[in-house]
Amino acid sequence: MLLVVILALTLQTSLVAQLRSFDATGDIMLLLGIAAAIAAGAEMGALVGFTAGMAFDLMLQSPLGLSALAYCITGYVVGTFQTSVLRAAWWIPVVSAMVASAFGTLVFATVGEVLGQESYLSGHLFAIVAVVSVLNGLISSVAVRLMRWALRADSEPRLALR
Amino acid sequence: MLVLTSITVLTLDFRGAGLVEDVRSAAGTVFDPVRNAASAVFRPFANVWNGVFDYGDVKDENERLRERIAALEGAQVTQADAQKQLDEIAATEGLPITSQIPTVLARVVGGPSSNFEHTIELSKGSDAGLKAGMPVVTGAGLVGRVVQVSAGTSKVQLVSDPGFDMGIRLVSSGTIGIAHGRGDGRALAAEILDPKLVVPESEAVTTSEFARSIFPPDVPVGIVTSAKLTTDQGGQNLEVEPLADLTGLAYVRVLLWEPAP
Repeated sequence: MLLVVILALTLQTSLVAQLRSFDATGDIMLLLGIAAAIAAGAEMGALVGFTAGMAFDLMLQSPLGLSALAYCITGYVVGTFQTSVLRAAWWIPVVSAMVASAFGTLVFATVGEVLGQESYLSGHLFAIVAVVSVLNGLISSVAVRLMRWALRADSEPRLALR
Repeated sequence: MLVLTSITVLTLDFRGAGLVEDVRSAAGTVFDPVRNAASAVFRPFANVWNGVFDYGDVKDENERLRERIAALEGAQVTQADAQKQLDEIAATEGLPITSQIPTVLARVVGGPSSNFEHTIELSKGSDAGLKAGMPVVTGAGLVGRVVQVSAGTSKVQLVSDPGFDMGIRLVSSGTIGIAHGRGDGRALAAEILDPKLVVPESEAVTTSEFARSIFPPDVPVGIVTSAKLTTDQGGQNLEVEPLADLTGLAYVRVLLWEPAP
């Protein structure tokens, strides 16, 4: 799972952040927690969201812990709704990823504004939410499969010891 | 537990715990080689993507820059003598001479990593003598200041960042004030405490020589585009358009200057 986080962080900082549309860029670190929640439930979504957020915070100038908090909450919320509602049709996880991405971005901006980070809640936030949601929705299927593989790989040594 | 941990870390950061910056710097030093290698691989793809989205803007900017170069070449001759006189006056008054501050040329290797940052990444770091707090400029004017340094790279907070504050001076009157960023593509907001001062159109703005200023004096910042009385009529709110083009930075200079402790 850590390898996936590092890989995603590399992609986010070297590729995704350079792809700007409407003065906004994607946020695949947020998608990691969402994908983990869809794949393995609320607790794993919160843990992966926290890890991905903290790793991302180390590369940013925003308050350390802000991304960790927002992504952790988002992962947990998605995980609590990830039962049969999310698995009824193939497009539901995609839509869920989009909605969760919008939620996570809004949580980050709101908490950041409360903590004194100026202009997080500005008119440009709509473009940011739209770009993040669409991008994460497009690659959510891949992210969920990747997270299922990563979490299964993490649990296999423990299964072998039983 | 995870939420509590996040809040604890946030609290430590807000209290200015030195450990936070040390951890960030160390993480940057460890991660930079991986990120630089990946950036080199992905840069052509990013250029194609941005070229598709920004072709019209790039073309307009090219034409605008050609006109501006022609005007600057003409002004260069008259400015040379003015700069010489300024250096002589500054030396007489014991002021730091901006034109004589040693600089390091750095290439801009990346932009903000997230949607809520107003930063750029430079190709030079502590190995080249850079330290947090050093001003960053182009030939046109102030770009920002170094906020994070690892061994081979550094991160610069742009003047457009809403959290960026600095002391300024109106060149013609010498009036001092405070300016801060308001986000990408927006003029800086500045306040002066003289409600009766007539601020001329296109008034030049530079950094000021406040005691304990975080910048050396007389670094060009921008030009005033509007001036309005504050609501209590005790001062004026100005809009200052930055001279440096913050959207197309390729190379910048870092002034090896640190503010007084």
